[in-house]
Amino acid sequence: MDDADEELAARAQTGDRQAFALLVRRHQERVFRFVLRMLGSRDEAMDLTQDTFLKAWNALPAWQPEARFATWLFQIARNATLDLLRRRQLVEFVPLDADTPGEAACEPRDGAPLPEERLADRQRIGLLERALAALPAEQREILLLRELEDMSYAEIAATLGIHEGTVKSRLARARAAALAHYRHHAGESPDERRA
Amino acid sequence: MNAAHEAHITDNDLSAHLDAELDAAAQRRVEGHLAACPRCAARLADFAALSADFDRLPQESFGCDLAGVIAGRLAAVAPPRPRIPAPGWRGLLPLGLGAAASVALGIAMGAALLGGGAALPRMTAMSVFDPIPPGGLCLDACYARGADKTGAFIK
Repeated sequence: MDDADEELAARAQTGDRQAFALLVRRHQERVFRFVLRMLGSRDEAMDLTQDTFLKAWNALPAWQPEARFATWLFQIARNATLDLLRRRQLVEFVPLDADTPGEAACEPRDGAPLPEERLADRQRIGLLERALAALPAEQREILLLRELEDMSYAEIAATLGIHEGTVKSRLARARAAALAHYRHHAGESPDERRA
Repeated sequence: MNAAHEAHITDNDLSAHLDAELDAAAQRRVEGHLAACPRCAARLADFAALSADFDRLPQESFGCDLAGVIAGRLAAVAPPRPRIPAPGWRGLLPLGLGAAASVALGIAMGAALLGGGAALPRMTAMSVFDPIPPGGLCLDACYARGADKTGAFIK
């Protein structure tokens, strides 16, 4: 799949719009999910996903075959997302402490039915969504790239433009922070252990 | 913080262990510690549970074929322009030659203007400064030199 990505990207570089359309179909859901989790707004995520691919089309002449297309595309999506968050001045999300844990956040934003799950599972998902929303953008993005996109540390480093050692430490901090938020919302005592 | 606490595996290593991103030696060290340390094992289990919860997140979908939308928007714009390789130093040669010619012309014009009657400032004007600082001792030679100029000090 990855080789085909690069092959399609090389064709798209020459102006082949059909090749680019295949790339869009292949990556639109991944990009959309990442942007949605970063922004928390479905409408904005749809707009930004479109913008990401349009920017990718315009930036294609600068794409180097040595770079994985998916990593390069996520760089564009990530930069566009951070730009929007900065414009919204919401790079640091404010935790929603007043709400009851597990309430409302369990519901998917698009109204699609959740799979059959036990109540405890639904509550855990709700808590995770709230914990994610409470994290700084820097920690949220690295968690999403690792946990949802299943990127290796090397791929995350390339996407974020940081060293792999930084990926390791930032990811650990993000996990610890997510757990702390999770427990806070769940009413559990925070873990006293620190890295 | 006692010695036993310091010996625990850090969150950094536990997190990397979960992701199978440690080198072989570090992986063995962590596994050995986890086998004997319920505290670190519990922390790792927390990280693993958090990771597993991500798999349960609702799979949001864009909901339509974005390629069609993009194709429509791209139809209105020109295809991306092929990348033009950087010119390198040879590409800068004409610019450099032009700059050198401009400087040479400026120097020639300046020289022509100065040579046509404009006098250079005379460095002898600096002689208005007395070599003896105010309040400094003036030796006989000084008085003698002053006397030579004005005649007032000649005894």
